[in-house]
Amino acid sequence: MNGRKTLVEEGTQFKGSLTSDCPIEVKGRVEGDLTAPALSVSTSGAVHGKVKVAEMKSQGELAGEFDADLVQLSGTVKDNTVIRAKSLEVKLAPANGKMQVVFGECELEVGSEQPAKEVAKEVAKEKTPSARPPADAAPPTETNGSPSVRPPPAT
Amino acid sequence: MPELTADVVLRKIKSGEKVERADLRGLVMPKAMLEGVSFRRCDLDGANFEGARLAKAIFKNASLREAFLAGADLREANLENADLEGANLQGANLVGANLNRANLEGANLQGADLGGARLTHAQLDSAKLGGANLVAAQLSHADLSDADLSTAKLDEADLTSAILTDANLEEASLVGARLRDAKLDGVNVKNANLTNADAPGLQPGGDATGRIKRYFGKGDVLRNAALEFDAGASVEIESLFEQCTIALGEGTELVVGKSGLLSGCQIRGAGKITIHGKFVERETPGIVGVTQLVVSAGGSMVGAVEQPAENTRFAFEPGCYLRMKIQPKKERPSEKTGKGGRQR
Repeated sequence: MNGRKTLVEEGTQFKGSLTSDCPIEVKGRVEGDLTAPALSVSTSGAVHGKVKVAEMKSQGELAGEFDADLVQLSGTVKDNTVIRAKSLEVKLAPANGKMQVVFGECELEVGSEQPAKEVAKEVAKEKTPSARPPADAAPPTETNGSPSVRPPPAT
Repeated sequence: MPELTADVVLRKIKSGEKVERADLRGLVMPKAMLEGVSFRRCDLDGANFEGARLAKAIFKNASLREAFLAGADLREANLENADLEGANLQGANLVGANLNRANLEGANLQGADLGGARLTHAQLDSAKLGGANLVAAQLSHADLSDADLSTAKLDEADLTSAILTDANLEEASLVGARLRDAKLDGVNVKNANLTNADAPGLQPGGDATGRIKRYFGKGDVLRNAALEFDAGASVEIESLFEQCTIALGEGTELVVGKSGLLSGCQIRGAGKITIHGKFVERETPGIVGVTQLVVSAGGSMVGAVEQPAENTRFAFEPGCYLRMKIQPKKERPSEKTGKGGRQR
């Protein structure tokens, strides 16, 4: 892209549909649909709408529907937001530090379908009906209200 | 180029001349016979003494940054206050050596023999000491933060007031070791032998906070169970849990290992969850009130998370699989009346 980018500067509000063949950087506020190879939302930026990009890096505020291959997230995700991505990265905030991401009521769909099928397969594989106790049977490892304790295996 | 070549250094040594304070950077003397020679205050950065015989040699206040000393015989050598940052001492024999106040930051001491060595106030942060012999070594006030001491032998070692923050002591032997006043935050003592060790707050199979790990091994199956883990407990699951409810006390750490699969389960309470394996909820939300949720690369989480009032700290690594709904805290009738809200 030769360093070209579309910039929505701080203090700017954009409403409508924006399609670009170069990366979009949002420092201001966008309400509407965005399509671009990449989207970067800075701490002062906000994007509310439908977004379709290959890469998205956000430190600002997101609301709406976001489809991307790679997502790096910090900042705020507002209510009623859906993020679909092949890969999502959210770093862990320090215990007493500022939240990395504050999530409102939202949905995350990350990764391909394969693991879900694997989960179902593993559950089916590990289920052995003959060994299964009745639903009201006592848990097999309970003693004095606390679970059994074994040392980790030697490796 | 060093000020003196290897030949000149050898000639000087043979003739009884001193090589102290010399600029010997990059000197190449592998397998050289240099027992008892004094390199005091010499600049030996990047020098190669691989397999050299340096017993009782004097390197006091010398600079040996990035020096190559693998397999060298440094028995009873004096390396006090020497700068050995990033040096390679793999398999070196340092029995009885004086390394007091030496800088060994990031040095490679894997498999080195440091039996009875003096390392008080030594800087060993991020040093690689895996499999090293440190039996009866004096390590009081040494900085071993982030050091790898896995499988190292530290029997009878003096680690009084040492800094072991985030050090790895997995499978290390610490029989009779002294760890009084040592800083032990985040130290890993998994499978370490702490028999007769003077280590207040440290327990074998636990961590620096003294908590015992509850471990559910691979191949085990737990169904329809209701489990409660007390505040501060540490739990690792490599098993299959089906239709289980798990209550976490405040600060309890629950790790679903790579082989762990929680199918149709629900987890509640102000704990911290790390998922390397898989979690699939039964009732929604599958996870309620946790303070921290990490899904690592290769981890899988299918279900809803109800955050506590102060929000959950999330972390997701690239490569994780999520079909996740995140919800705000919901007020429940039991919480309004103050009954049964707390899981312990």
